Amino acid sequence: MRAIPAAGKGRGGGIRRRAALEVRRDWQLWALLMPALAFFIVFCYFPMYGVQIAFRDYKAAFGITGSKWVGLKYFIKFFSSYYCGRMFANTFLLNLFGLIFGFPVPILLAIMLNQLNRKRFRGFAQTAIYVPHFISTVVLAGMIYLFFSPTNGIVNHLITAAGGRSIYFIMEPGWFRPLFIGSEIWQNAGWNTILYIATLTSIDPQLYEAATIDGATRWEKIRHIDIPHLIPIAVMMLILNCGSLLSSNTDKALLLQTSGNMATSDILGVYVYSVGIAATKAQYSYASAIGLCLNVINFAIILLVNAISRRMSDISLF
Amino acid sequence: MISAAAKGGTRIRETRRDRIFNAVNLVFWTLVLLIVLYPLWLILIASVSDPDAVLQARVLLWPVDFSLMGYEAVFQYTELWGSYANSVFYTLAGSALSVVVTLAAAYALSRRFAGKKLVNLAITFTMFFSGGLIPIFLNVRDLGLYNTRSVMILMNLVSVWNLMVARTYIQTSIPNELYEAAVMDGASHFTYFFRCVLPLSGTIIAVLSVYYGVARWNDYFTGLVMLRDRNLYPLQLVLREILASLTSTGSSDTFFAAYADNLGGLQEALRKAEVAKYCCIVVSTVPAVLLYVFMQKYFVKGVMIGSLKG
Repeated sequence: MRAIPAAGKGRGGGIRRRAALEVRRDWQLWALLMPALAFFIVFCYFPMYGVQIAFRDYKAAFGITGSKWVGLKYFIKFFSSYYCGRMFANTFLLNLFGLIFGFPVPILLAIMLNQLNRKRFRGFAQTAIYVPHFISTVVLAGMIYLFFSPTNGIVNHLITAAGGRSIYFIMEPGWFRPLFIGSEIWQNAGWNTILYIATLTSIDPQLYEAATIDGATRWEKIRHIDIPHLIPIAVMMLILNCGSLLSSNTDKALLLQTSGNMATSDILGVYVYSVGIAATKAQYSYASAIGLCLNVINFAIILLVNAISRRMSDISLF
Repeated sequence: MISAAAKGGTRIRETRRDRIFNAVNLVFWTLVLLIVLYPLWLILIASVSDPDAVLQARVLLWPVDFSLMGYEAVFQYTELWGSYANSVFYTLAGSALSVVVTLAAAYALSRRFAGKKLVNLAITFTMFFSGGLIPIFLNVRDLGLYNTRSVMILMNLVSVWNLMVARTYIQTSIPNELYEAAVMDGASHFTYFFRCVLPLSGTIIAVLSVYYGVARWNDYFTGLVMLRDRNLYPLQLVLREILASLTSTGSSDTFFAAYADNLGGLQEALRKAEVAKYCCIVVSTVPAVLLYVFMQKYFVKGVMIGSLKG
């Protein structure tokens, strides 16, 4: 693992001798890097090698390379399956609506928080809006089940008290997305303000002072100072989020999916899990093929979005 | 600045429109805090109320017919506490290992060495592409880690994001002059890392601990896929059976029914279960939230450093 390029030429100048010394010291850097690197190789790159079972008829007895090569059989099976279109649409729409409704909220919160001039209240508000982020997905789903229960949930009690009719939220296809996205915003909007708040606090205070002296109102300061400063970072976040339009929040969807709301909750990630892991006769190759499709599409979207943004705004991830 | 000016006495008087804005903002934040905190408050007060009051949704602002019946029932759920112990172990051992491995790698990546570019690329790539759930699962099975405690610690050991935050922190907050001085004195990378970097990394260690700790404490999916033996289940997986009663695992009543003998019969056990669900949320969420509140001081600062420059 020792890397010794250029080390041989080190004769003469002190700088060169020091460079040679640095290289000889490198093995310790590799040693510090090794545990993390081993993790990535074993838990990330081994599975990438194993993904070839998507093109094979995987049988545990024959192993990965020993199983029969079947080419695109499972991809064709997936794309010609009855629910394929519905699952793509559900996955995409869930993420799209999540983006449309969820994206502006942290920006709004950050701007308004920045305008709170009572220091203690502001500190309290900032602490409080982070708290839901520390609740687990299971508990969040549990809260939805408890609060939106048709018989004894508080929401339905309020609805019936107001003269409405009780709604079985968790079984209605029409309510899956609102529940999913609403709870997502409740849980993470506050947390996602961190980046925007950091941006706002890095603005030169002189700008505000100058604006105050020029007689700008608070609203005008937001409009002409805060928002222009937030736009670059917001664009970057938007790009990042666009890259995950087909990825799925499998663990949460799995908890909120019920026999009643399948029409909207049937998303790709959950399907991979139920076909490949939960099923009594797991179809490893088939589920791998679906997973591979998803990963390739997501990766392509990220590359595409990245290229577009580099051309348009000079903001890019790589 | 305005509040500072106000304290100094040279107050710039706010215009009428500003005062309206402030009032609107105050109303806005009252509403936001209500939305954020009320559900949490509701869980707290429901957990110490009488089951009947909870079932009739009479618990709205304060506990109704205060009782600790729910918590008494929760203490009977031996399986919950077994999984609680598991989760404590997975979280402590796993996060400690994660923090050490991440910091060491972050330090290495903050220095220059031959081959660094390739390593960076290889690590970043895993953020955008993965083998997928099934190959990961089969890989774990082939390694002989399926259904072991080790998998709960080794899975998700290093997060690329945390690694980058830590690297940025080391790069920006530990001056390079220190490194040069240490090298002059003949320090190796090991010496420099253990004697200089680690003692100066308190903030980032706190941040990483909270990040890793909370992620591990709250994770149920790894256990769901990688474990079969109920004795190894983490807390969240048992919670799932208790709370998410309509998912494929079937009704949560089966869980509660198992403890009927100690709780005064089946009917009584199920009645208490209505409150016990809230109590389970409280006992499972409090550690994560407390960790955040205690670490908060370092936390917000450290996260901002990492996020601004990362």
